[in-house]
Amino acid sequence: MIRNTLKKETKELLRDGRIRMAFILVIILTIVAVVISAWHYKDINEEYVSAKQSEREVWDSQGEKNPHSAAHYGTYAFKPKYPLALLDQGVDKYTGTSIFLEAHNRNEAQFDEASDQTGLARFGNLTPDFILLFIMPLLILLIVYNSLTKEKEMGTITLLDSQGAIGFKLIFGKWLAVFLPLFTLLFVLFITTGIILSSLQDFGVFSWLSLTTLFLTYIIYYAIFINLVLIISALVKKSGIALVLSLSIWILVCLILPKIASNIAEYRYPYPSKQEFAANIAKDKKEGLDGHNPWNEASKALEKQVLKEYGVDSLSQLPFNYAGYRMQKGEEHQAEIYFKHYKELKTQYSNQSRVYRQLAVVSPFLPTRFLSMSIANTDYATHWDFADSAENYRIKTQKFLNEHFANESKYGDWSWKADADFWKQLPKFNYEPPTLSENLKHNTGNILILFCWLLGSFVVLFFTTKSLKNVKI
Amino acid sequence: MIFTNNLTKSYGNLTALDNLNLEVKEGEIYCLLGANGAGKTTTINLLLGFMKPTSGNAFINQLDVVEHSKQTKQYLAYIPENLMLYPSLNAIENLDYFSGIANKNFNKKTLESILTEAGLQASAFYKPVSKYSKGMRQKVGVAIALAKDAKVLLLDEPTSGLDPKASFEFGRLLQKLRQKGVATLMATHDLFRAKEVATTIGIMKDGQLKQQWSVDDITLSDLEKNYLETMSYNTIEL
Repeated sequence: MIRNTLKKETKELLRDGRIRMAFILVIILTIVAVVISAWHYKDINEEYVSAKQSEREVWDSQGEKNPHSAAHYGTYAFKPKYPLALLDQGVDKYTGTSIFLEAHNRNEAQFDEASDQTGLARFGNLTPDFILLFIMPLLILLIVYNSLTKEKEMGTITLLDSQGAIGFKLIFGKWLAVFLPLFTLLFVLFITTGIILSSLQDFGVFSWLSLTTLFLTYIIYYAIFINLVLIISALVKKSGIALVLSLSIWILVCLILPKIASNIAEYRYPYPSKQEFAANIAKDKKEGLDGHNPWNEASKALEKQVLKEYGVDSLSQLPFNYAGYRMQKGEEHQAEIYFKHYKELKTQYSNQSRVYRQLAVVSPFLPTRFLSMSIANTDYATHWDFADSAENYRIKTQKFLNEHFANESKYGDWSWKADADFWKQLPKFNYEPPTLSENLKHNTGNILILFCWLLGSFVVLFFTTKSLKNVKI
Repeated sequence: MIFTNNLTKSYGNLTALDNLNLEVKEGEIYCLLGANGAGKTTTINLLLGFMKPTSGNAFINQLDVVEHSKQTKQYLAYIPENLMLYPSLNAIENLDYFSGIANKNFNKKTLESILTEAGLQASAFYKPVSKYSKGMRQKVGVAIALAKDAKVLLLDEPTSGLDPKASFEFGRLLQKLRQKGVATLMATHDLFRAKEVATTIGIMKDGQLKQQWSVDDITLSDLEKNYLETMSYNTIEL
């Protein structure tokens, strides 16, 4: 019965001009989106490789220079582009691509793509994730909404019932007739993407396992949508009503609920404004040790403590350049301040994420969105991880420079310069994003919710269509 | 093959079917006559297991249709007044699908021969059903019954709206099935066709079986007279 229904439904779908057109349109849109994204990311990645290389060359070729001047001269940490960003660009567009690393300050990532665009960017771009998350469910809706209502309207369901059709077997045949073409379409899309990604050089570390996980995430998402629309089609009599209800579900699940979730999360756990955040940091910095200012209270206290510790009367008697030492202590103090304030920010982010996860219960879109971004390493968590990694590198760089200044020069000798070759000794910044297993572990809640949706929708569909009598009503 | 015992269906205070007792044996065609709302379709729906009786029982091949709904459907075929098929599929595909639902799978050649037996022209086999007349669709319905090898045929006003030729052809198909031993219960308004094809004729009114004859015991004119009298009695009563 399942095989017969699958065969019949497939024939009907293939002969339905509207469905053919919708499929062709989605395929064209998907190909265009993938090709545009591939070009775009290839360009960005080439820029990344080139910028990273040239910035390092600039750093290495500073010539003879005081290390603290080099610390202020600074360098950049560039955020790599990850292969699966081709499919889901997540929040990359808004988070910035590089962080300027300098003495005393932790800077935000800058040069985000969104700020380089005009107001037209508000309309959004045609990206694969837009098609995967919004358009594909719409296609499902168009195929499935009248799957059962048309049987009721035509009266074929009565004939099917008299032939001894078993409700859930009939539905499963219909389910497969929609799922299998979608599965094939998505499979081809992901395989093509995989081939493109594995052939691109310097495009980060591509993992077929991550791609497969992303594929499974979307497959589950679509299975849920098929179930939801089939349930509606089973419960209502008229195709028109089924279409309106299915569209309402799509609007609610994909558009309204994510925005409500976002509003609730921001309302409950608001981020401080940039000005407020900067002012709080400046205030704390002012109250503590300033590496540049030997006269402030904290500096004087440090001086006394060091003199006592080394049992000397003056700073010039210390076995190192105290100016470099103070600079390092100042950096450590400022790093702690940044750590404290960013921790508060991260707590807010975690709270917001928790609210999102809780609200993900009401929409399968949310867990899919989060999982997809996380697997693609384009979510906020990855950005935070990158920013933290860049900050750690900045702290290590400052230590490397300050210690060299302290150990190699004499107190008061601000004109001392490090060798031209010294800069090459600074280890390069290499950022490794969270692995797939780390991302999945971080998204256990989302995975659980998605599976609950899948299982729940199958159970409801089964009981709704178990008997054709329920469907006929 | 078909047997009802005090079969009753009520909707609140309205009794759609009132203690119906009838029997259709193998190779018999029982025609139920009656005005709209007489209880003919309710009888068929109860036999199909589409609804549960308020009281009484209905049996198909000695199996209670309520208790053995799934099994009884194996024995029966149903052709409604307006047999709707899948319009984008052709007759072969429709027959293949509906037979498959009943766990009867045939090759293309067999499907063609079943459709031929049901009286459908070969030139129509591969045309989309959307281009079929009602008579052609009814023939596909008979083909579905033939393919299922149904022992019981339930027909709900199958000749309504058919032109005389198509109605005649349909009558001949029923006779063919009768010769194969199929027990047929046909709800109809068509007295002439009933007299022509039936072995037994019953007249229903207000959910009750008012009169019943063996077809050999009544002429067409007497049948018409009795039918009108039964209906006019109703009018006088109103």
